[in-house]
Amino acid sequence: MENKERRLVSGKGQFVDDLEFAGMASLVFVGSPYAHAKILRIDVNKALETVGVLTIITGKEIVELTNPLPVQADLKGPGWIWRLPKVYALAVARVRWYGEPVAAVVAEDENTAREAADLIEIEYEPLPFVNDVVEAMKPGSPLLYSEWESNVQAHVKFDFGDVDSAFAEADRVIKVSWREGRASGFPIEGRGCVASYDKIMESLTVWGSFQTPFTAKHIFAETLGMPEVKVKIVSVDIGGAFGNKLHTWKGQVVALASVLTGRPVKWFELLREWIVTGPHQRDVVWEGEVAIKNDGRVLGLKANVIIDLGVEGTNRGLGTMSIIPACCSVPNAYHWKGMHVEGYGIVTNKSFYCAYRGYGKDKGIKFIERVMDQVAREVGITPEEVRFINFIQPDEFPYRQINNYTYDSGNYPAVLNKALELAVVKYCRERQRELTQQGKYIGVGMAFTIEPAGIAAPNTLFGGMTEANVKIMPDGTVEVNSDWTDLGQGAEESNAIIVSDILGCKIEDIVVPPVTSDWIGMGPLSSRGAVYIASAVAKAAKMIREKILTCASVFLKEPRENIDIADGIIYSVDDPEKRLTYKELAQRVYFFPGPRAFPKEVLLKHDHLLDVTTTWYSPNTAETGSTYTTFCSSADVAVVEVDTQTGVTKILKYVHVHDAGKIISQEIVDGQIHGGVVQGIGEALYEKLVYSQNGLLLSDSYSDYLMPTATDSPDIIVGHLETPSPFTELGSKGMGEAPIIGSKAAIIAAIEDALTPFNIRVSNSPATREKVWKWIRDSQKKSNNEVT
Amino acid sequence: MKVPVRFKVNKEEHKLEVDPRTTLLELLRNQLKIKSVHRGCEVGDCGACTVLLNGEPVYSCLTLAVQANEAEITTVEGLMKDHELHPLMKSFLENRGLQCGYCTSGLLMTAYFLINNLGELTEEEIRKGIEGNICRCTGYMGIVKAIKAAAEGKNSGNWW
Repeated sequence: MENKERRLVSGKGQFVDDLEFAGMASLVFVGSPYAHAKILRIDVNKALETVGVLTIITGKEIVELTNPLPVQADLKGPGWIWRLPKVYALAVARVRWYGEPVAAVVAEDENTAREAADLIEIEYEPLPFVNDVVEAMKPGSPLLYSEWESNVQAHVKFDFGDVDSAFAEADRVIKVSWREGRASGFPIEGRGCVASYDKIMESLTVWGSFQTPFTAKHIFAETLGMPEVKVKIVSVDIGGAFGNKLHTWKGQVVALASVLTGRPVKWFELLREWIVTGPHQRDVVWEGEVAIKNDGRVLGLKANVIIDLGVEGTNRGLGTMSIIPACCSVPNAYHWKGMHVEGYGIVTNKSFYCAYRGYGKDKGIKFIERVMDQVAREVGITPEEVRFINFIQPDEFPYRQINNYTYDSGNYPAVLNKALELAVVKYCRERQRELTQQGKYIGVGMAFTIEPAGIAAPNTLFGGMTEANVKIMPDGTVEVNSDWTDLGQGAEESNAIIVSDILGCKIEDIVVPPVTSDWIGMGPLSSRGAVYIASAVAKAAKMIREKILTCASVFLKEPRENIDIADGIIYSVDDPEKRLTYKELAQRVYFFPGPRAFPKEVLLKHDHLLDVTTTWYSPNTAETGSTYTTFCSSADVAVVEVDTQTGVTKILKYVHVHDAGKIISQEIVDGQIHGGVVQGIGEALYEKLVYSQNGLLLSDSYSDYLMPTATDSPDIIVGHLETPSPFTELGSKGMGEAPIIGSKAAIIAAIEDALTPFNIRVSNSPATREKVWKWIRDSQKKSNNEVT
Repeated sequence: MKVPVRFKVNKEEHKLEVDPRTTLLELLRNQLKIKSVHRGCEVGDCGACTVLLNGEPVYSCLTLAVQANEAEITTVEGLMKDHELHPLMKSFLENRGLQCGYCTSGLLMTAYFLINNLGELTEEEIRKGIEGNICRCTGYMGIVKAIKAAAEGKNSGNWW
């Protein structure tokens, strides 16, 4: 059977844009030209007169015919603020960000819909807007939601350990600030779906680029007021996701269009619309102080983080919840006595906040890595020494970190050592000294990342559920179902590897159908594929293997213990001539067991049903309350050259060493590392979402929002270590997010190291060439000043 | 007002009448149902829509259908021999040159051109040559490896 990659490489992908149904209509959205405005009037008459237009949906129809979008996380805690706006799928009465969808035109084809969209007349009354978090927090700032006292959507506070005695014991306290610009994933394929409402059966099917079909089903059903049993979401081939596609809100408008027109309706979003109305991420401001000993040991930290959520992060997606891992991930791989961390999620007139590789834990980790570098500089030790001094040691696992995560396993010193070796750091530093004499500036930077993976967060739509099914068909082929949506990250292949390893069947005989909402599960977010889904699939495979052995022992007349399976053959170890192929076994089990049929023990225990559905839940989370289950670790080392004439950063060498527990497929893991590292480099050097003074998004194409090309991306040297997780079925750990976290921090650190002679602290990102050039010029004007 | 055009796509002759505003991308996908050509940005920023026009890579989103009059166009479907994968495609599979597959068709056409015209390729030349095709998933490592291996394979006669 052709596997997915072979199908894709021969151009036979079935992405949303490729779907065609009889009578299919096209939908396009019309977006607001203002950052903040009242909608006074919408006149669709001229547009409706265009030949080929079927219907036009505005906020009026949305309010009449749909429910507000369901809330995705309600996490009000004692002393916390958590505010929930009422949000519909289209703007109602007011627009709150540039590009916010105000109307949807449905026509026979896309070009007609676009032409008609231009004929819609909308009258707005512009309102004062705010697109800076500091301004948004000031009293008197324009309010996004008039029923709220302020623009604070969330304020959370954490106290870990004993922060007061940590500061009391300190030799010194260092102030640190760090800022990340607004960025997001924007895979090459935008969002899209085809919705088809069956009037007779009153049922809805939606095919689309959905990362989490089961959750999407719930959201569609709630929005449209339909019973969930009447809604089905099917994921088609997905052109990249990175967390950017695990929400849904525009899709519900498409579904409504199908209900109203009685036709299948397709919506497919091109890049510009994706950037303007898609989930934004990063965009955080940290201020903190770290209490340390003179030898570089860290004791305590007090920090605040402010996150720019855009219009909101609780209804269209689940971004606001990310403040929590942003605060809680700060301890990273180190020993701490105490911490106090507060997070503010502020709403502004920008696109909404949701998930992007890293989600929230990336922020705390990037911050603390900047802190560690600063500590090293202050006390006069190397960046690797400060990490070695503070690392949790290999004999301390499972380690209950002060943030209440229980780290499963790891060997942090070994990972960092390997990275330093592969990067030949000693040699690079010698060259650095020589080259500085010649007016060339190279720098060595590093970062250490633990990746909390496999979230199970109660009181959100992401509480940890998962379901896996393995069945043997009558022809001996094997079907595997789960919530492991394939986004290009090798989910189908991983499922097949796990099952064929356990069942001894041929990998070519396994089929992993596209994931649909039929199977319960949160989907592959928070890198939980290798944690929850892999564990559930392995469990199901192990359970069905038992049934296979029972049935085989009846047919081969051999005790179960004497039977083994390899390469698709089930055979007696003592007498390999006694064998059955999977096909022969299945035929006999399903239809032709033989004259004596099955013994009653088999029938009464139902061991003859070759279909197992099961689930898995993290013992770590259940026992310890740790919201994450596994914690892979990685070290990134980057060597860069900064051209002081142009501000350009060139990457000379890049090393990433990774411990993801027991690896399912090294090639898949390497692919995730390569992709994540390059995304992190993009964030470090190029990517930024820029809003103008009028509140419009200026960077709305790949010409402005610069993603790394092949020439921007380095050759990446990858090393591996494996400390299996004691908590998962296979010992595997969720991975894929650490590379995007460590790479950004390492590149920033390397630039700062290269610019040491200029005494520049790099405390914001991206470190674009313009910024770097300016920092150098500014520092040359004033000596001894700290420039950021 | 429609304009007649004729061209060959993957060696098959087509004669059509098109609205002059139609792009080559729209024509290939919507009228000829050649779905390997993908829509990403439609403004020439990503390369997902790359096809060969008279043997040279172009962004089909920035090419008008009428510009392709009398031309020979090649897409991924044209690289296959019936059901057999082109050696370049096999190299992409063996060397993990794809993950989600969305940028892959465009990249394959650019890579095909590079290998055909530049012969032996250094890593730097490969990276420079595929600069106009953005990939968000792979970090380019598998892609560069796949192209290098395919170029070497061509030298040993494994090519068409």
